[in-house]
Amino acid sequence: MATKPKAAAKGRAKPKAAPKRAAKGKAWIANDDIGEETRLALWRSLLEIRHVEQRAYDLFLQNLIKGTSHLALGHEAVAAGFAIAMEKDDWSFCTYRGHHHTLARGASMEGVLGELMGRECGLLQGKGGSMHLTSVEHGAMGSYAIIGAHLPIAMGAAWTSQYKDTGQVSVCFFGDGTTNIGAFHEALNMAAVWKLPVVFVCENNLYMEYTPIKDVTAVHNPAGDRAASYGLPKIVIDGNDADEVYRTAQTAFAKARAGDGPSLIECLTYRHSGHSRADPGDYRPPGELEAWLKKDPVPRYRDRLAEFGIAQDVIDGMDAEVLAQVDEATEVSKASPPPGLDLIDVDVWADGGTSWRN
Amino acid sequence: MDVIMPQLGETVSEGTVSVWHKTIGDAVSTKERLFDVSSDKVEMEVPAPAEGTLLEIRVGAGVTVPVGEVVAIIVREGEVIEVGAGLSEAAEEAAPKAAAAPVREVSVKSANRDANGNPLSPAVRRLVAENSLDPVAIAGSGLNGRLKKKDVLAHLNSGAAVRSALKPAPLDFAGEDTEVIPFNNLRKLTAEHMVRSKATSPHVLQAVEADFARVARARSGVSAAWKKREGFSLTYLPFIAKALCEAVREFPHVNAAIDDENLVVFRRVNLAIAVDLDFDGLVAPVIKDADQMSLQELARAIRDGSERARTNQLKPEDFTGGTYTISNSGVFGTMITAPIINQPQVAILSTDAITKKPVVIETEDGDTIGIRPVGVLAQSFDHRAIDGAYSAAFLNRVRDIIQTKDWAAVLA
Amino acid sequence: MAELTYREAVAEAIAQEMRRDEDVVFLGEDIGAAGGVFKATVGLFKEFGPVRVRDTPISEQAILGAAMGSAMTGLKPIAEIMFSDFLAVCWDIVANEIAKARYMTGGQMSMPLVIRTANGGGSRFGAQHSQSVENWAMMVPGLKVVAPSSPADVKGLLAAAIRDPDPVMFFEQKSLYPIKGFVPDGELVDVLGTAKVLRDGGDVTIVALAAMVPRAVKAAEELSAQHGIEATVVDVRSLVPLDTQTILREVSKTGRLVTVEENPRLCGWGAEIASIVADEIFWDLDGPIMRITTPHIPLPAADELEDATMPSAERIVREIVENID
Repeated sequence: MATKPKAAAKGRAKPKAAPKRAAKGKAWIANDDIGEETRLALWRSLLEIRHVEQRAYDLFLQNLIKGTSHLALGHEAVAAGFAIAMEKDDWSFCTYRGHHHTLARGASMEGVLGELMGRECGLLQGKGGSMHLTSVEHGAMGSYAIIGAHLPIAMGAAWTSQYKDTGQVSVCFFGDGTTNIGAFHEALNMAAVWKLPVVFVCENNLYMEYTPIKDVTAVHNPAGDRAASYGLPKIVIDGNDADEVYRTAQTAFAKARAGDGPSLIECLTYRHSGHSRADPGDYRPPGELEAWLKKDPVPRYRDRLAEFGIAQDVIDGMDAEVLAQVDEATEVSKASPPPGLDLIDVDVWADGGTSWRN
Repeated sequence: MDVIMPQLGETVSEGTVSVWHKTIGDAVSTKERLFDVSSDKVEMEVPAPAEGTLLEIRVGAGVTVPVGEVVAIIVREGEVIEVGAGLSEAAEEAAPKAAAAPVREVSVKSANRDANGNPLSPAVRRLVAENSLDPVAIAGSGLNGRLKKKDVLAHLNSGAAVRSALKPAPLDFAGEDTEVIPFNNLRKLTAEHMVRSKATSPHVLQAVEADFARVARARSGVSAAWKKREGFSLTYLPFIAKALCEAVREFPHVNAAIDDENLVVFRRVNLAIAVDLDFDGLVAPVIKDADQMSLQELARAIRDGSERARTNQLKPEDFTGGTYTISNSGVFGTMITAPIINQPQVAILSTDAITKKPVVIETEDGDTIGIRPVGVLAQSFDHRAIDGAYSAAFLNRVRDIIQTKDWAAVLA
Repeated sequence: MAELTYREAVAEAIAQEMRRDEDVVFLGEDIGAAGGVFKATVGLFKEFGPVRVRDTPISEQAILGAAMGSAMTGLKPIAEIMFSDFLAVCWDIVANEIAKARYMTGGQMSMPLVIRTANGGGSRFGAQHSQSVENWAMMVPGLKVVAPSSPADVKGLLAAAIRDPDPVMFFEQKSLYPIKGFVPDGELVDVLGTAKVLRDGGDVTIVALAAMVPRAVKAAEELSAQHGIEATVVDVRSLVPLDTQTILREVSKTGRLVTVEENPRLCGWGAEIASIVADEIFWDLDGPIMRITTPHIPLPAADELEDATMPSAERIVREIVENID
C-alpha cells in the first residue's frame, strides 16, 4: 500500500535538490511505492550509521573510546528502515547495541561519539556511556543493557499512546538472545492481550553473544516461531534490505495505529565485528562472514539506488558529505572536555538533586 | 616492654613526666632513675621496670598523662620487637629486628571508668572533659552504679557556683601593678583538690577549746631527755593524735568515706598529718594504723613523715590509705582554722596554737581565774556522713582525753 | 474526621488522586474486578473503569516495565506488586531500570510512578509471602521509600507519593490492613521525608517503622506505667528521603537509641540509622545503641513461631528494662 514517504530525519542537513532522472534515461521501475525522496533518506541513514560505527571502531583502536562498545556494523538496514518509517513522535527502545538506532532517530553524531568517548558533549553528559544512548527529544527512549528489560518498558510507552489515543507507536529493538529471557514472554503476552501499539523487532544476527542462537533455542526462528504463542503472525524478513525493512515497518505501524495491536518482526542480519569491541569473533565458522559480507546492506543499497535511476554523483556525493560530517563530529567531540566532576552529584531526582536525607 | 605512668596515690588519676634521665639507645636498669614524675603532691623518681635499652619515648617532659598510659618502650635483654609495630623511625632503627613477635596489648585507661569500674559513655566523657571533672568522684545512678549523663549534669548543677569561680571571666592582670606567678604543679594540684573537695562535701566547722595543762606537765617532765634521746622535740601534736585515735574507737563514723549513698567506715585508723613545705606547698603523709601505736611511736612517725616530706623522700604508699587528717596550723600561731577535708575522707581536724589564757576554774570554794595552756581543736566534717551532734560528741571526747588522761604514766 | 481502616485508606488515596488527575492509572494482579487480594483497592474499578484500572497477567516484570514505560511518556501509573517478596521477581526493573534511568541519561528521563506492595509478616503465610523488604529498596539509589503505620499516614503519604515526580516504593504492612484510625476529611496530602514524634519521654528514644510503630507505642506506655521509664517514640515513615534531623534531635535528647525493625537482622533499615547516630551525635550517646529486630532467618509459618520471631511489644519492654538504665 502506498503511504506518504517519511521526511528526512530532523537535525540532518537537507538533501540537495531532488535529483533529475538518471542521465542514462532508464525508466522508473513500476510499483515504486517507496519513492526517491525516501530512498535517499534511507541511504543517508545507512551512510551515517556505517561511517559513525566505523569511526567508533577506529577510535576504540586509538584508545579514545574506553570501556566496551557494541558495534552495529552490518545492522544498518534494520535501523534505517524502521527509523525512516517512524513519525517524529513515535518512540524507540533498543539494547546496548544501540548506536545505530539512536543515530537513525536523529541524535547528533557528536552526541553519540562524545558519549562513547566520555566527553561533556555526549548525549548523556558522559553519565551513561555506550550502552545507554538516549535522546528523549528525538524519541530515542533509551538503550538498555539488561537483556529483555526494555520490552515491557516499550510496551508501557505503547500503553500511554493507547490511553491517550495519540496514535503514537512504540518500537522495540532487541537481539535473538532476548527471545529466550522471561521478560520477552511477559511483554509479548501482555502487549497482545492489551492490543498495544508496540512493534517488537528482533535483529537476528545468528549469535547470542558468542553462542550460535540455534544451539540454545528450541525453535528455528527465535522470534518468528514464537509469534504464534501470542496469537501473532510469523514475520521473518531479510534485515539487510532497507526497502524490505521499510515496507514491513510501515505495515506494522499501520496495524498498530489502527488499534489492531502489536507485531513481532524477525530481521535476519549479521554483525561484521565481534559481539563487542573486545571480541574478534573467532567462534564463527570459516566462510560465514564472507558470505554475509556479500549481503552487506550498504553496498547493496548503493546498487539499489542505481537500479532506481539515482545518479552516481548523487549517491557518491551523499557518501562524501556524510563522511565529512562524521569527520567534523569527530573533531568536535575530541575537542570536548571530560565532564565536570560536579555532574556526579546531580540528576538522581526530578529536582536535579541526589540527596537522600535532610 | 611498656613503661607506664605509675599509680601515684589512691585518688590520683594522672601524672606529669617532669624530666627524662635517659635518651633513646641508652642502657636502662632497675637501679637507675629513668624519669621523674610529679603528681598529686609528690615528685617521684621512677627506675626502669627491667634491665635493657630505651627504645622509644612516647610522652615528653612536661606532658601529663593518665596513670597506666605507656610513656616509653624499652627492649629487655634478649627481647625482639615486631618490625613495623607502630614505632617511630628512630625507634625502629634502634630495635633489634626479628621475624615475629607477640603483639602488645593496649593498657586500659583507668581515666575512662567511673568509681565502679564501668566504662564512661561518650556523653559522659564529653562532659567530664569539658568541665575538668574526676568521674571517679561523681556518684552514678545507672546499672552497677554506672555514671550517667544526668548524674554528671546534676553534679555540675550542684557545683555550678564553684565551677564559675574556678573559671572566672578572663581578666587582664598584666602590667606594672602586678607580678604574675604561674602555678607550679603542686599548686595546680592543690587548687584542683581543694575546689573539688568543697564542691563534693558540705563542710561544717565545729570547734572545742581544750585545756592542755596535764599534757604540758607530762611533756615538760620528759622534754629534755626526749630531745637528747630522739634528736627532736616532743610537741603537742602526738598527744592530740593519740587522743584522737582513742576517740575514734568510740566515734568511728568520723573515720570514713562516702560511696554513693553508703558510709564506708574504715576499720583502720591511718592518720594523715599535713606538712607545710616552707610555704611552697602542702603534703599529708599517712601514718598507717596510728591507733596501734604508742605515743612515742606516733611522735616518731609524725617526725619521720614531716622530715621525708621536706626532703622529698616520700613514696607512693605514703599517700595511700589515709582515713582521717590532722592539719597542725598551731605551729603558725593561729587561733582557729577551718580546714578543707582531704577527699575521700569525711572529716579533718585543725589543731591551732596553744597559748596561755586566763580560764575560769571551779573549786569547792567558788570560781577563780587561773592561767592555763589552751588551744582550739576545730573539725571540718562532711555533713552527708554525720551530723553536728555526733561531731560535737567526738570532739568533746577528744578534749576529755586530752584534759584527763594520765599522760605522765603514758610517757613513763 | 472519619474512622477508616488502613486498607480503606489505600483505596481512598488512589481514588482521590485518580479523580484529580486523569493521567493517574493503576495496574496489577487482581486489583480491579476483585478489589485486590487484600481488598485494599475496593471500589476503584467500579468508579474508574477497566481503562484506568487494569488487571494484568501474572507478569511482574511486565507490570513494572509497563509502569516505567508509561511514566516515561506522560502517565502517572500506580503499579501493585501483590506481595513485596515478589519484588525479587522483577527486581531488575526496580533496581537497574527505574532507579537508574534518570541518572544514566543525564536527566532526560522522568518517571513519576508509584509501586505499592503488601509487605511483612504476621499472617502465617510462610517465608515467601511474609518478609519485610523495604530495606532492599532503601539501598538502591534513585528510589524513594515510604512505609506508613496508620490509616491517616497511608492516605496522606500515598497521595504525596502519587504526586511525587520521582519513583516511589510504597510499602503497606499487610498486618496493619485491618487496623482503624482517624483520617481527616477532604483532600489529604502529606509530605514525604518527614518523620513523626508520637510520644515524648526523657529516658530512651525508640525509633520504629510501619507495623513496629504501634508495638513501640504500646511498649512505651507499659514502660511508663510499670517501670517508670519514659520513652520517646519516633515513627520514621519515610526511609528515603530520611528525616535525619528529627531522629538525631530526638536521640540527642535522651542519649539512648533503640530501633525496632521487622527486617531480618542484617542490613535492616535500623542499621543505617544506628550508623548515622553513632557518626553524627556520638558525643550525645549515654549508652550503647540497641536494635530490636527479627532474627536473621526466613520467617516460620506457625502462629507461635511467627509471633515469637517478630519483635513484640512485650519483647521491646523486656529488652529496654534489661538494658536501658
